[in-house]
Amino acid sequence: MRHRRALELPFQESTAAQAPQQPAAPRSGDLLRPPAGGPDRAAAAAPAELWLAVHLAASPPQPARQDLERLGARAQRLTPRVSLDPPDSLLLEVKGSLHLFGGVEGVSREMAGECSHLRMPGTLAVAPTPLAALALARAGRMLGVPASLSAASASLVVTDPAQLIGKLSPLPLATLRWPQDTLDRLARIGVRTVGEVLRLPRAGFARRFGTAQLQTLDRLVGRSSDLKDRFEVRARFRRRRELIHELESHAALLAVLEPLLGELGEFLEARQCGVLALECRLRHRAVPPTRCVLRLAAPLAQPAQLAALLAERLSALVLPEPVRACELRSGPLVPRVLSSGGLWQPGEQGGGAAAQAPELIERLRVRLGAGAVQGIRTVEDHRPEAAWEVREPVNSSGRDAGRALPADAAPAASWPPVRRPFWLLPKPRQLDERDGLPRRRGPLRLLGEAERIETGWWDGGEVARNYYTAQDMRGVRLWVFREREPPHRWFLHGIFG
Amino acid sequence: MARDLSRLLEHPAIWRGRSAARIRTLPTGFPALDEGLPGGGWPQAGLIEILPSCFGAGELSLLLPAIAAITRRPEARWCAWVAPPLQPFAPALAGCGVALERVLVVKPQRKEEEKSGIWAFEQTLRSGACDIVLAWLRSALPRQIRRLQLAAERGATLGVLFRPREAARDSSPAALRIAVEPAAGGARVTLLKSRGGARGAIELLFLR
Repeated sequence: MRHRRALELPFQESTAAQAPQQPAAPRSGDLLRPPAGGPDRAAAAAPAELWLAVHLAASPPQPARQDLERLGARAQRLTPRVSLDPPDSLLLEVKGSLHLFGGVEGVSREMAGECSHLRMPGTLAVAPTPLAALALARAGRMLGVPASLSAASASLVVTDPAQLIGKLSPLPLATLRWPQDTLDRLARIGVRTVGEVLRLPRAGFARRFGTAQLQTLDRLVGRSSDLKDRFEVRARFRRRRELIHELESHAALLAVLEPLLGELGEFLEARQCGVLALECRLRHRAVPPTRCVLRLAAPLAQPAQLAALLAERLSALVLPEPVRACELRSGPLVPRVLSSGGLWQPGEQGGGAAAQAPELIERLRVRLGAGAVQGIRTVEDHRPEAAWEVREPVNSSGRDAGRALPADAAPAASWPPVRRPFWLLPKPRQLDERDGLPRRRGPLRLLGEAERIETGWWDGGEVARNYYTAQDMRGVRLWVFREREPPHRWFLHGIFG
Repeated sequence: MARDLSRLLEHPAIWRGRSAARIRTLPTGFPALDEGLPGGGWPQAGLIEILPSCFGAGELSLLLPAIAAITRRPEARWCAWVAPPLQPFAPALAGCGVALERVLVVKPQRKEEEKSGIWAFEQTLRSGACDIVLAWLRSALPRQIRRLQLAAERGATLGVLFRPREAARDSSPAALRIAVEPAAGGARVTLLKSRGGARGAIELLFLR
C-alpha cells in the first residue's frame, strides 16, 4: 500500500474509516492485485479461453441487427460459441478451433474472409477474455489500424494471459464503453488509460464509480469469469416441391403436402421444437401464389395433427388456378414441452381428455375463429347480465383433473340461491302489456313472488327490477322483469328451458 | 330360481327384445325416465335426438342432472354446447351443480351457421375429448345424422341433438328420439324411438 500512495485518491482518508466493514472490497491493494483470498486466475499459464472479437467498421450507420446475425451465422462455421455484442461487435470463442484453422492467424484470416464476403469490414482482435478482445478491437479502430481484410494485426493479439494487462494498459478508457459521465470524472482525476484505472484502489473505486464498473474490470483482466449468451441461428423449415402434374383437387394437394409435413415433423422432432405458425404456398402458372397460413395456440410438431389442420384450411380455400408447386414454410421454432401419453382411453375409468382437449379446441378455432370457442364462469354480481363472463377454456389436463369435485357430493353452495333460467337473452327484450300484465304470444301467467334486484348504482349500470317467473300459453317458463321506476315496462330476460 | 333364470337368459344365443339395450348408460336423474329408457338411462356413447314442442319446453332441464353428474366426475371430459340459440347462463348451470370449468361453448360464425354447426358437432363428437355434446341444428339430413352417430360412437361421447318438433316426421338413424312438451311443473316426455325402451308418455317434475 505504501508504494501506491502517490496514486491514491484524495478521498482516501475519509473512506479508510469505513473500509473494515466491507470485506468484499478490501481497501488495501489496488485493482491490479486480486481481492484478498481470491484465486488468481489470471496467473494460469495457458488461457482457458481465447476470444476473437470483430468490431465492425461500418459507422456512423451502425450495422443492422440482421446483418450482425448474418455474420454470426457465418461465424458459426468457425466455432459453436459465437455471441453477438450489439450494436457493432461479434465475439467468437476460438480456443477449440485453433488447431483446425492453423492457429490464431488462420482463424482470424477465416473470420476476416467472412466479413469481406458480407462486405462488412471489421477490426479483429484476440485476447483471453471477451472484454479484453473487444477493447483491443475498438482500440485498434480508434488508433487507426486499418480494417483489415486478411488477419488480425499482430498488435491486437494477446494469447498469453500474463501479457494481457501489459497489453491493455496503454489503451484509452473509451474502449471500455463506460458511461461518458464516469469517463469524465476519471479524466478529472487524471485517469485516462486502462492501466491507470487498474492501479486505483478497489474500495475507493467501487464506492466512487460503482461496483458494476469494478466487475467490468475484473472481467476484463480475467479475474472473474464472463459468461456470454450463445448466439443461435433461428432455424426455419422451408421445403418446396415441384409437381409433375398440375393439381386442382384438395385431396390430391394434401397427398402432395403429406411427405413435406413428414419432413417437417422429423425436422421439429430432431430439435425438440414445435411451430406456432405454418405457411403453405401454392404456386400457379400465371397468378400470384395462394397463401394459406396456419396459426396455432400451442406449439405443434406431429405431422398428422398438422395435416389435419392444414386440410381444414385448404378445404376452405378457393384456388384461382391449378397448382404447379407447393412450398411449406415454418414460423419460428418454439421449444416444446413433451408429455407422456395416457394409458387409458378417453372415457375409461381414469382416462381423462388430457391429450385430445387442446387439439379439439385448436381444430375448432382454426375453422371457426378464435372467439368461437369459449368457456364460461360465474361472477358474483346480482345483475343477471353481469353475473357471468366468457373465459378461456380450462385445459382439462391431469393437473386439475385431480381436483374435480366428487360425484356424490352435494352441489356446491349455489349462488344465487334462487332458481335461474338456463338461457339468458343477450339484451332484455321489451314485452307488450295489457292490463298491467305482460304478453308474449298471448297473456303470460306470473308464477310465485317477485324477486327484487336493485343494484349497480355505483358503476353506472344501475338496475331496479322486479323479476318474476312467468308461463306463456304453451307452458314455456320465462324469466321476466318489470322496471321499478316509471314507465314500469315489462321485459323478457331469460328462458328456463 | 329367478337368479338361475336370469343367468340362463344372459346366454348370448338367446335374443330378447330388450337385450339390445345392454349398453353403458348414465342415470338421467329422473327415476321415471330411467325406467322407460333402454338400459336405464342415457346411453354413454351414441346420438340421441330431443324434439321439444317449442324452445324452452324443458328439454334442457331434462338433461341437466346427467350433465351435472358427468362434469363432476374426476375423469370428466368436456361438456360442449354447439351452436346454442342463446347464451347458456352460467349461474343457473352452476346452481344445478354443473362444473363450469368443463363447459365449452362453441359458436359457429353467422354465415353458413348451419354447415359449420354440423361440422363442429361432428368434430367434438369424434375427438373423444367430450363426455357429452349438446347441439342445436335446424336441419339435418338422415345421412348427416348417420355420420354424427358414428362419430359419437367412435369418440365414446353422448351426442344430444335438439331439433324442432316437425323433424319427428322425418326418419332418423339416431338411437333414441324423444319428444318433450311443457307440462304443469315439469315436462311430458314421449319416446318416439328407442331400441327396446318403453312406449307412451312419461310425466316429469322439475320444479323444486
